[in-house]
Amino acid sequence: MSERTRNIASVAVIAVMSVALLLLTSTQPATSDRVEQIGTRIKCPVCQGESIANSPSQMAEDMMDLVSERVSSGVPDQQIIDELLGSYTGAVLLDPPASGNTLVLWVAPVVALAVGIAMILWWRRHPGPSADDATAPGKSRTRLVIGGVALVLAFAGIVAVAANSLQDRPAAAAGAADIDEQDLSEVSNETMEAVIAANVEDPQINGMRLALAERYFDSGDYRSAFPHYLVVAEDPNATGAEAITALVRLGWMAYDGNGEVETATRLIDEALAIDSGSSVARYVRARVLWCGAGETDQAIETFEELLSDPELATETRTQIEADLEMANDGGECP
Amino acid sequence: MLAFLGSAGVIAALIGSILLVVRGIRGARGGQSDLRAPGKLVLAGAVISMVAMQIALLNDDFSLAYVANHHSSATPFPFDVATAWAALEGSIILWGLVLAVFTWVVVRQASDRLGSAAVAVMAGVGVFFFGLMITVANPFEVCVDALATGCAASTAWPFTAADVPVNGPGPNPLLQNHFLMAVHPPVLYIGYVGLTVPFAYAIGALALGVPGPEWLRRSHRSTLVAWSFLTLGITLGGWWAYEVLSWGGYWAWDPVENASLMPWLAATAFIHSGLVQQRRGMLQAWNFVLVISAFALTILGTFLTRSGTINSVHSFTQSAIGPALLGFLVLVLVGSFTLFTMRSHLVASSPRIETFVSREGTFLVNNLLLTVYAFVVLIGTTYPLLLEAFTGTQVGVGEPFFNRLAVPLSFMLLLTMGFGPVTPWRGAPTGLLWRRLRWPTIVALASGLVVALTVTRVAWVILAIVLGVFVAAAIGGLLLEFAGARKAKSGLSLYQEARTVIGNDQSFWAGQLSHIGVVLVAIGIAFAANLPLHTEVELAPGESVEFAGYTLTYDAPFRRDEPNRVVQGVRVEVSRDDRIITVLEPSANFYDTEMGGIITPAVMSRPSGDLYLTLRNLDSETVQLGLDTSPMIWLLWLGGVTTAAGGFWSLAARRRDRVVEEPLVLADV
Amino acid sequence: MTGRILRWAGLAVVGVTVVLAVVLASRFGSDPGLVDSPLIGKPAPEFTLAGLDGSEGASLSDLRGDIVVVNFFASWCLECRDEHDDLVAASESFGDQDVTFLQVAYQEAAAESLSYLAEAGASSTTRYLADPGSRTAIAYGVFGIPETFFIDPEGTVVGKIIGEADALILGATIDSIRNGEQPGQQITGDTQQRPDA
Repeated sequence: MSERTRNIASVAVIAVMSVALLLLTSTQPATSDRVEQIGTRIKCPVCQGESIANSPSQMAEDMMDLVSERVSSGVPDQQIIDELLGSYTGAVLLDPPASGNTLVLWVAPVVALAVGIAMILWWRRHPGPSADDATAPGKSRTRLVIGGVALVLAFAGIVAVAANSLQDRPAAAAGAADIDEQDLSEVSNETMEAVIAANVEDPQINGMRLALAERYFDSGDYRSAFPHYLVVAEDPNATGAEAITALVRLGWMAYDGNGEVETATRLIDEALAIDSGSSVARYVRARVLWCGAGETDQAIETFEELLSDPELATETRTQIEADLEMANDGGECP
Repeated sequence: MLAFLGSAGVIAALIGSILLVVRGIRGARGGQSDLRAPGKLVLAGAVISMVAMQIALLNDDFSLAYVANHHSSATPFPFDVATAWAALEGSIILWGLVLAVFTWVVVRQASDRLGSAAVAVMAGVGVFFFGLMITVANPFEVCVDALATGCAASTAWPFTAADVPVNGPGPNPLLQNHFLMAVHPPVLYIGYVGLTVPFAYAIGALALGVPGPEWLRRSHRSTLVAWSFLTLGITLGGWWAYEVLSWGGYWAWDPVENASLMPWLAATAFIHSGLVQQRRGMLQAWNFVLVISAFALTILGTFLTRSGTINSVHSFTQSAIGPALLGFLVLVLVGSFTLFTMRSHLVASSPRIETFVSREGTFLVNNLLLTVYAFVVLIGTTYPLLLEAFTGTQVGVGEPFFNRLAVPLSFMLLLTMGFGPVTPWRGAPTGLLWRRLRWPTIVALASGLVVALTVTRVAWVILAIVLGVFVAAAIGGLLLEFAGARKAKSGLSLYQEARTVIGNDQSFWAGQLSHIGVVLVAIGIAFAANLPLHTEVELAPGESVEFAGYTLTYDAPFRRDEPNRVVQGVRVEVSRDDRIITVLEPSANFYDTEMGGIITPAVMSRPSGDLYLTLRNLDSETVQLGLDTSPMIWLLWLGGVTTAAGGFWSLAARRRDRVVEEPLVLADV
Repeated sequence: MTGRILRWAGLAVVGVTVVLAVVLASRFGSDPGLVDSPLIGKPAPEFTLAGLDGSEGASLSDLRGDIVVVNFFASWCLECRDEHDDLVAASESFGDQDVTFLQVAYQEAAAESLSYLAEAGASSTTRYLADPGSRTAIAYGVFGIPETFFIDPEGTVVGKIIGEADALILGATIDSIRNGEQPGQQITGDTQQRPDA
């Protein structure tokens, strides 16, 4: 058999077999299970990155049952998927659509392939530098500029990374300990709320809770301050000083906000039960009774006692002195 | 005591690394400096820290916070040893140790400026990792506040525990459920860390302005070691997932899996393009890009999986290590590409390809495909993160996306793999490819027909068979051709001549062994993914069910108390033609730390594939079981191991191979 | 020529790296498992569920005009145990004011939920419902429990609490719904998934 005959024979055999294979495979009925197929496109919401078809969890099984029920009642694939996305968001779709903000995913690889091919063709047509060029000294100034620019960029990047990571951590689920080390004055109320919410169980969170409540209190926002003081006041793990502050503030708010003198005194008495010498508690109690129940004499007495304490903080002293003067003058509470 | 010893080791390694950086730079500038002493210090320090951790684990020394939080006195061998790398801080000790060994390898061959520069880069990476170990991921912190099991607060200084827990919770149950977890991480780490060596040589070559093939030659063996271990590690990872995660799968395009695949793809492309530069002096710049990318991808992968930015089956919980790794990644990329930019006038190589129908032409196609492949995995893994960071919208990207793009790319790679080895360098004479590929094509199509007529007509499977057999037959045909040509002259037997042919160019034939491994993987995946059977059954004791040609009989439930866990499951008799083949025990393993049990499948392997039983629900009356088959799945494990074996075999190639030209292909033109 | 292209390519990589790194850094600390509920502001998925004890149960459409609080719970969920008393208290204090509390058992046999309720104390004003096949949980996009949904009198989902709810949050949320506000999603703590087997 000549070479030519052998070639012709080979081509014929290859052609016949290719056609036969194409026929055989194309007449194969689609065996793929629709339920399974949809299942692999949906992420199991309670698992970590597994599809509901793959996950052995109960939730995934229930979702697969739902899918199979929908399939057998003739609902089209897309509608079943949309139903699940309606309650779980696009994040549970493992098969991003080639549209909207996931179009990039499908286009980018094709573009990359095209760019790659273009680069290879370009590279082939344009010879590189000759051997002389390669050894010639480069334009040192250009290189210096490039190096400088890149260094600045790198520095900026690293600084931004550092700043970003520091700034964002508390907003999410940072531990209470982390934030305690920071200066609270630079943290927003929202962040503190978030941190507190994320660390409800942490006994050390009370400090921050109080700081936040004080901020609300100072700005007159009793409604926001109230729940935080309440938590601290009821927390068996709170320190005595924390509990006293919380109870006294609650007492003042009960009076100032709702005019409930009795509740107020009861709360402050609880504080005094922890430490009978607490000057803040005594001062606020006297003031509540004076303003709320008109017990001016008792208030004057308490004020004078408090002022006799040499260790009283200057600020408090000024405040009490002003109150005392007013009480002595006309008895009217400010 | 152990805290002190371990910390001393880490600090020694850190000091050694800093010294190496300084001395390496001095050496790279042409000065004389001793690198071996600090190299030994790094190695000794890393070994000491690992030994300290192992002693602590084996002696149940719960004063170390790491031991208290990840070990339990009930943890059996070999999981107590493996606990050293079952969590973040410990796994960095392992990373440091492997890095120290590779650094030592580079130190030993650093007698010149390039070698010294590479040592400086290696040690620079070492400074980062040992630095991590004394700061944000310190494995030798001692416990100061003990819990019932575990440690609530710990400190690095002063090395003595203020409070020692009585016991610990043990490692993550998923990680102590199978022996593969003990070996998989070290193997994978050798792969990851090994890629530092070509990176170090590349940066050294760029810094010194010597972009020639010398750096490739010097790092060739390390690259192969890294690549082979990475291949093996990925295979073992798939096998572990299959044996432990109980869904019958081995690859889910999980971010952690992708993190290992991306460097593998880049490294595979690099091995091929490196050959082109060594042979033809082309692609100089491209090789730098590839090797920097491969290294950066290992860091990116570590960042993605260790920083808590991505949720995944195997990721450790989040820690301060995230910002550190991201910062390091930025440093690596910015530093490397700045250097690359500054040397751009040197790295551009002059030779150009004559024709695409040549070995280098097929390598270009191979590189293009592998790069696009890596890009697909990269964008699919990071896009949800980036999109959410930019717009706050959450999207999912998973298996269906990757499969749609990766499957066609894989088939194109297989096709290229058939052409590459039979195409000579510089261009093939007319008719040569036809003569060499005629028979492989016929054999491949015939195999496809046989499978289509006897087993299955599913198109993907047939395509995998046809392309796989094509690659294998092309390789076999080439060997026969070379051996036949020699036989005609020498008169020795074909077998003897084939051995000589292989021996003369062992690294080439080792590469072909890897190609055959890839073929086996492709066929294994095609079968296992397209032809599995699945059903769910509910059985009462004594009841039977027919499945995949077997009769499965629910014998009885059982419960076994083991030191670290309680195994609860059912015994299922598997029989065929009234003969009992085996008894399978699908179970749930209950560990103290976990509320529920870890569902553990029971697998029976046969040449036709696996029978895979999963416990779904067990109550007093009945048991619900998931029944699966994984046809030909063993091809996948065998293929992965064969691919890695090709890499190892290539390492054994005698050095003179490099100068031996390919047996003259023009002889028969 | 080639050199210049390489130079620009190198610089481009450097620039892109820095931008991406900054963006990635912004993700530190955020919980990757957390997804905002797309239901807020949308009509609440309809359901008709039988009571755990086999009683008549409840149908959402019959409760139009009431504020409806739908809580998903289970006996195996520690956070649910923690919030139980507050839910009971809130249900009893709001029960006579056009607020209906529904608690839906999540992935648990009715008998287990019932014995848990018997032990923890059920509220007379709350209806405890069974959800076979987790259909309602799926329709509401439950990730992990406890999750509590708030539906306004027009039948729109206006609020969701992920994690343990307490009396204050429940009260404040119901108050703001009464004021015609949409409280939206709040995260108060951890949630749990069903331990398997």
